[in-house]
Amino acid sequence: MTGTNTEARLARLRGRALPVRHNARTIAALASNPGCARRAVLDAAGADKQRLAAYAGFPAPFGSSRFAITRGNAFEAQVKASGAAELLRLLREHLSLPIPEASYDDLGEVGGHAGLELRHARTRSLLARAVTQPAEAGTMFDHPLLTLQVGGRAAYLEPDLIAFQVNGRFRVIEIKSFAIIDGRGDSDKVAAAAIQSAVYVLALRQALAGLGIGPEAVADETILVCPENFASRPVVASLDVRKQLTVLRRQLSRLARIEDLLAELPPGLTFDLDADEAGVPRRRPAGLAGALRQVEARYAPDCLNTCEMCLFCRDEARGDTASLGRDARDELGGVEQVATVLRLARAGAVPPPGSELAEAADLLRTAARLRAEALGEAV
Amino acid sequence: MSESAEILEQRIGRLRAAVREAVLAADKARASALRRELKQAEQAWEDALDQAEALPSPGTTQPGGPETAPSPLIPLREQIYQALSLLTVPAAPKLLATVHEAFFASTFPTAKVTSLKRDEERSFRTAPFARPYYICAALTADLLAPARGLLAASTWPMERRVIGPLSPRVDFLSAAIQVAGAIGRLPTPVPAASRLLWRFAASIPGAAQDATRMDPRNVAEAAVAELSVHRAADSETRQAAAVRARARLDDAEQLFGTRLAAADQRRGR
Repeated sequence: MTGTNTEARLARLRGRALPVRHNARTIAALASNPGCARRAVLDAAGADKQRLAAYAGFPAPFGSSRFAITRGNAFEAQVKASGAAELLRLLREHLSLPIPEASYDDLGEVGGHAGLELRHARTRSLLARAVTQPAEAGTMFDHPLLTLQVGGRAAYLEPDLIAFQVNGRFRVIEIKSFAIIDGRGDSDKVAAAAIQSAVYVLALRQALAGLGIGPEAVADETILVCPENFASRPVVASLDVRKQLTVLRRQLSRLARIEDLLAELPPGLTFDLDADEAGVPRRRPAGLAGALRQVEARYAPDCLNTCEMCLFCRDEARGDTASLGRDARDELGGVEQVATVLRLARAGAVPPPGSELAEAADLLRTAARLRAEALGEAV
Repeated sequence: MSESAEILEQRIGRLRAAVREAVLAADKARASALRRELKQAEQAWEDALDQAEALPSPGTTQPGGPETAPSPLIPLREQIYQALSLLTVPAAPKLLATVHEAFFASTFPTAKVTSLKRDEERSFRTAPFARPYYICAALTADLLAPARGLLAASTWPMERRVIGPLSPRVDFLSAAIQVAGAIGRLPTPVPAASRLLWRFAASIPGAAQDATRMDPRNVAEAAVAELSVHRAADSETRQAAAVRARARLDDAEQLFGTRLAAADQRRGR
């Protein structure tokens, strides 16, 4: 069976470390650079990228701020206080939710327990009830627990809230604590929220598909709840996540075809840190870095926002046109190395006519001439 | 009352010293006997304190009217009970603290509430119904488990303490009516009380335009109007759950809820 082979192979890559669980944030990050084999392989293996990058000498420059988390939790608690009274007002104003639709189910705990399996089962049964008995469907589901198959492994996902019966469809609601000022939010943060919401939409659709319900039951538009201006009064905005859904689906199907990526890797490859009993790694950092380089990466400046391996890959990609960003790479005629670009532009090496580089060389030389003329330099 | 607690404290001190000596002398039998005695003394001390707490002025106390308690340093459980009695519905500690601040001019740290809840349950299990009231849990209508983050009073009927899907909204509206009524009775509304009322009014359709032009009577009327939409469905769920709770749960579980495993065992029996 290829399935078990792949599992064994991924386990060998990960080594003896415990697999890292996916969450909406990591799944969203997958979608931001679909072409990167390194990220795909490391994620599929459940490797701890933060630890690997740090050990290889390139610790990731980000993490969670305690203050940000506290602020986020406080805002969420405020929006959901007293049966989500504030949220209900927003939904009534923004989506004309009918007045009788006010029921609220807390799925953060089942019978006094917060076990994942239990909460997942309860979420499924409530979703099934919502669909089969619309009269008793319920309106707001607080912290439902969904699963999504990522690289053959189920990842548990916890949307902030799912609302049902807003025009007869499920809607994913994401509560974020960044401010929307004068009707505008920070575009990076909104984009991140959109892709996270898309992960939830996908997971919800899969859960409903298991109950025999089509994807149209979940709206493509998700709802973002943020503080308005400089106060903590919440405001809602709709996010259309169709584009993000497409990207996610493509990336997840790629992860499902992880065998193809694994087939190109040397059989003995592993990212095990060879930790002793006290958890201190014994593997040489250079050895680990060498192993990581065996898997092809596709570095782009966006990686700095999303991937723990970003500094490692950036260092490796120095001198590549790709590290300047996708736009710059295209402008440079798709040539891979900065050095090649410069050589071609200086008319030192003329590629044979008709070859792939000939056209790029023409363009680059024209660009170089224009620059020289503009600056008054001799070519 | 306090005298016996003091005597007990001295006795506990002596017993602790004796336990330490017995342990150091490796006299196991004596140590465990002393430990038992120590535990009894500690329990007696707790009970003495509870009694002193539950009866602030012996002889004249009336459990129905704790609002009139004259003591300037009211224990946490009484503050919570005062706020709960005003709202008449299960509520989160944070809301209770705000209500207490608005109407009783003092607030309390919500962080202490968790240990209070535990103490109440322990006290009830050692001596059931020894106190006039307990701060207890609201129960989820489906599994009769303690509802997350909600407090209730043991003196309320079970119907009021179970929480169905519509109950958070119904309780929110009922609390709004109570708060509006209480503000109407004040000679001059304090800012904290008006702020509290606005928090309710802002989420009720047709209750008020803005925080400055807010009439408590309008807020109450709007809440009553929305309440009439939800009430029938909600009370049906609550009645059914209450019947189930009374039939299935013992006294302590009726007040503090049952965990899922326990419910399963019961069903299997």
